[in-house]
Amino acid sequence: MRKVFDTFISKNFEELTEDEEITGIIRDLTPGRMKYKGIYARFRISKDPDKYPDTLLVRLGRGQLVDKPCSIQILEEIKIFP
Amino acid sequence: MAYRYFIDNRDYIEALRKTGDLVDVSIEVDWDLELGAIVRRTCEKKGPAPYFHKIKDYPGFGAFGAPIATWRRLAIVLGLPPDTPVSGIVEEWRKRTQSAVFKPEIIPKNDARCKEVIIDGDQVNLFDLPAPMVHDGDGGRYIGTWHFVVAKDEESGFVNWGMYRQMIFDEKTMVGPILPFSDMGRIFYGKYEQKGKPMPFATVIGPDPISALASLAPTPLPEAEFAGQLMGEPVKLVKCETCDLYVPATAEIIIEGEVLPHVRLEEAPFGEYTGYRTSPRDKRNVYRVKCITMRKNAIMTVSNMGVPVDEGQLLRSFTLAMDMELLLKSQGLPITGVYMWPESTHHLLVIGVKPAYTGIAQQVASLVLGSKAAAWFHIVVVVDDKTDIYNVEEVIHAICTKWHPVRGTILMPFGAGTPLNPFASPEERFSQKAPKVILDCTFPLDWPKALVPTMVSFREVYPREVQEKVLKNWKEYGFKE
Repeated sequence: MRKVFDTFISKNFEELTEDEEITGIIRDLTPGRMKYKGIYARFRISKDPDKYPDTLLVRLGRGQLVDKPCSIQILEEIKIFP
Repeated sequence: MAYRYFIDNRDYIEALRKTGDLVDVSIEVDWDLELGAIVRRTCEKKGPAPYFHKIKDYPGFGAFGAPIATWRRLAIVLGLPPDTPVSGIVEEWRKRTQSAVFKPEIIPKNDARCKEVIIDGDQVNLFDLPAPMVHDGDGGRYIGTWHFVVAKDEESGFVNWGMYRQMIFDEKTMVGPILPFSDMGRIFYGKYEQKGKPMPFATVIGPDPISALASLAPTPLPEAEFAGQLMGEPVKLVKCETCDLYVPATAEIIIEGEVLPHVRLEEAPFGEYTGYRTSPRDKRNVYRVKCITMRKNAIMTVSNMGVPVDEGQLLRSFTLAMDMELLLKSQGLPITGVYMWPESTHHLLVIGVKPAYTGIAQQVASLVLGSKAAAWFHIVVVVDDKTDIYNVEEVIHAICTKWHPVRGTILMPFGAGTPLNPFASPEERFSQKAPKVILDCTFPLDWPKALVPTMVSFREVYPREVQEKVLKNWKEYGFKE
């Protein structure tokens, strides 16, 4: 089953970097107590909602939700703290 | 003698229930937006505070929203009748803030209600607390909205309590901005981070109402002593589990840990006190959590910042104005009072003066704009002693009739600001600077007396005996009020 994540971007949605390896923070939107947990990860994203295994929602810098779901492939969750 | 105050939020909730200033929400509400939306609507309607008994996913916890978001609730906090006018609340505040100061009393751990549950080590998980998603589009779940953070300058021993927002990042990590001009900012950046040392902190969620007030009000006193001054007796504190900090013993939840030096993580956006989301998602300070202590069936406190009026706006406006009044009076300046409407999101300060000499408006306004608190406001309106500073209609009338758009406007292009000012340019927000303006709403004293317009009002234009007769016979004329 596809999981849903989101991320915030500081640039315009049109300038989103696709299919390249990115390191950044995403949030896990799985319902329940842990919803909105932040994850530091390496991932690839695409504006094609079906290209990668999970769904990624995109928000702009002041929280505006972009109404075009994308897809994401998480390559590695990076542990920030020991 | 101690003043009337509430030892904890539970005592306060009971008092609000009795006066009709609380709604018990018995049906289950979702911490994910629903709870926040209810609190927001109560703020916008200036309605009673909601006390949530059942929160989805979090059996055993409660939540208390908009704790002091109305003048009625502030009056109750200060032991006054709920319908006390603002001027009466001001009088009570003046009385308490001029009374004796008390150092806090340290009580044993076994007597501290905030130690009924202790969670530390691997068991610590911030997601076990019912932190709400306050607004749709926020950067995360904000656990610190009606709370304060305790930090200590280890060299001087100075202890700061301040409301610094905190967002949950993961199980053991919170993030939030520590502004450089804040007391905690000076301690963290000036002392700990310079040495590469983590700074111990303790977040106090659900403090008693007076301690909460003390933490957000500007004061030259250490906030714990200020709380004692407002209570009329010492506030009771207990030592933290993991560090040499002390927290109010009756608080609902305590989160202990360290602010990490030279580590930043993304935080925000967040619905802010200005009624906007202005500051962007950005890298901000990181709080690592070591221990959580709390009361049984802990009650999370939730403030929902947005368009007026929430408690941040009401209480910051009130206490900032009182602080500026103290400053002006300390220099013997002939003022009649200082006030901020909460609807101004504490951006507009009104000063009433006796126009005793030329230039007084610029003098008093420049003094407050040069104060430590000036980063929080940028418009200063100076009116004369014929204007009731608490009456919005009279102040608007003064602006529209006595303020000269050219001669009465004094611009200060540069001043300290915050990154949260919606009107500021992106560059100004980044640099935390803000232009300031003074509106002088007094008539120049060098005008010939015969040329000074005279106010036409019931209070000003009729002889005293006529006023008294009309007031005495008012109901006899047929008027009800």
